[in-house]
Amino acid sequence: MRYLRFLLPLLLIIGWEVASWVVNNPFILPSLETVIPILLHPFSPAYTLGTGSLVENATVSIQRVGLGFLVAAAVAIPIGILMGRSTLLNDFFDSTIELLRPIPPLAWVPLALAWFKIGLTSIVFIIFIGAFFPILLNTVDGVRSVKKTWIEVATTLGAKEKQIMTKVVLPGAAPTIWTGLRVGFGIAWMCVVAAEWLPGISKGLGYLILYAYNFGQTNLIIAGMVVIGVIGLLIDFIFKRVEKKWFSWRGLER
Amino acid sequence: MKMSHACAIVGMLLCAALIAGCITPTPPSGTPTPTAPPAGAQVILTYTKGTGPMPTLLGTDQIDGYIAWQPFVEVPPMAGIGKVLVYSGDMPPEGKWKDHPCCVFTANEKFISEHPDLVNAMTASMILATRYLEEHPEESAEIVADWLAGKGNFTYGDISVSSVDVLKRAFPTVKFVNEPNDQWMDSNIEFVHALRELQVLTGSLKDSSDADSKALLFDTTPYEAAQSMVDQGKIVTPAPVRGTVGVGYLMSDHHAALFVAIKKWEYFNDTYGIALKPRDPAASRPDAADLIVNGQKVAEMKMISGDAGPQLMQLMATDNIQFALVGNPPAISAADKGTPVKIIMAINFEGSGVVVTEDSPVTDWNSFVAWAKERSAAGKPLKIAAPGKGSIQDVMVRYSLEASGLSVREG
Repeated sequence: MRYLRFLLPLLLIIGWEVASWVVNNPFILPSLETVIPILLHPFSPAYTLGTGSLVENATVSIQRVGLGFLVAAAVAIPIGILMGRSTLLNDFFDSTIELLRPIPPLAWVPLALAWFKIGLTSIVFIIFIGAFFPILLNTVDGVRSVKKTWIEVATTLGAKEKQIMTKVVLPGAAPTIWTGLRVGFGIAWMCVVAAEWLPGISKGLGYLILYAYNFGQTNLIIAGMVVIGVIGLLIDFIFKRVEKKWFSWRGLER
Repeated sequence: MKMSHACAIVGMLLCAALIAGCITPTPPSGTPTPTAPPAGAQVILTYTKGTGPMPTLLGTDQIDGYIAWQPFVEVPPMAGIGKVLVYSGDMPPEGKWKDHPCCVFTANEKFISEHPDLVNAMTASMILATRYLEEHPEESAEIVADWLAGKGNFTYGDISVSSVDVLKRAFPTVKFVNEPNDQWMDSNIEFVHALRELQVLTGSLKDSSDADSKALLFDTTPYEAAQSMVDQGKIVTPAPVRGTVGVGYLMSDHHAALFVAIKKWEYFNDTYGIALKPRDPAASRPDAADLIVNGQKVAEMKMISGDAGPQLMQLMATDNIQFALVGNPPAISAADKGTPVKIIMAINFEGSGVVVTEDSPVTDWNSFVAWAKERSAAGKPLKIAAPGKGSIQDVMVRYSLEASGLSVREG
């Protein structure tokens, strides 16, 4: 049953091809033959309406999302640890965070442009908004779920607050924080289309999709979607591998 | 437990009361009540925030036609999903839209007063590029095809069309003109009147006299200075500007002057001593260029493409861009709301068009009107898309439909 996971994608591809014959409308569903050549030439700029090669666009998107994600992690993890350790700080931040959390990144676009102007900062900001909350909430949760007994034992043995933090709380919370990072990156990557919807951008997978839309090039739109999906899958795979290697103790200690 | 329930109920009641208070209609005095469905045949106009969704909406039978700027008028015929009904210059009533104004070259008012020489130089560059468009239409169409589509092919199912062919078809339907003469200004003011009727204007142009509107909208001094520099064959070198200068534009062959100025920078540099030299000459769509006058770099320019004019005007209002190539209605609406934008000169006349679905029983405007009446009588009025409320295309298609005895409903 190892290969079962490949069955559904295969069926979907076959279903797609059959459906594209039946529908016979490239705007609703372009056929595989018009999408595959684009995917088979990832280094050629000839298939993307002058937007550069797929690889070039993917690289730009990964850099933007990576940067937004790193900034989000750098801000969310420290705040999350503080909130997890201190009820006072948690009460201080909590309501504001719950108020801001449901606002979709797309809604921030007009303000991002007015505040940060056209350019990388605005893009990074939109991605930051997407990645920030899952990382923060998982960090708070991770810090809180560190067993009280561990902290008590460390205190009894004479550990200082700093030692408790670095030797008990952080290692104990690390698996949950890592889950937060994994979810956060997933959402950050989903924000790539919203972020690249900003004006003043001339490259990126999100930009490519929206640009192809102008000319009704649904095949190019789907190719861009496939690349976004594949990259998301690969990065999630890396996160999972790290989780398995470093944090497998979590399953054992229960 | 009981207490918290009670709190929750009181809270919900409060919310309900608040919401009810908010949506209780308070009829404003003096405004006319919405008119009852007008008698006669109706057409539904639907707005798509730019041209982006139009080909897909037409290709999936969600609309019966659309009015758009070039080259999006040429997309349906080549994809086999529609046909061109009429180009904008020929829309009825006869002669009304011949040489209608379209896109304009604008700059931030404050930027004009702070950097007059730079604005003059940039204006001169656009004038020279426009002249080039007129003299080399074939080559210019190719340059636009490179800018818009990397000279690649458009693919629609089995159909694959070269973008160069498409742009060569679209190009002759646009007239490239700069001179901001009185006649052109008056026809721009007609758009002020049309936008007033659509109740788009709520600020300083709401009831201004035509003379006041002109004073608010236009500043042609950069054009005059640029034209005289071009005539004398000598461009004054502006003082270098620190930071980047943003130029907003739309993905349309209307803005070919900008594309040609950048792509043919060597020609303009050698011939006139003014050039927009792209940072990356290999890119189909360079997004950064240096303005070079008489061999001296005077500013770093960023090329910012927008989805539609209102977005560009928003960028100008937030000082993201200092220049914009934009349709005249977005510039008018923005000036009305207090954006410090000044129209310097024209960029083009005409260059829009109406397309209808491939299977429509339509060959010309009259048969289109007959079709619209038939569909309206059958209770399925035609649905036509326009880029946005108050856009040139919106104003024109409304006027033409109404002049043909059809009434327009937004939906």
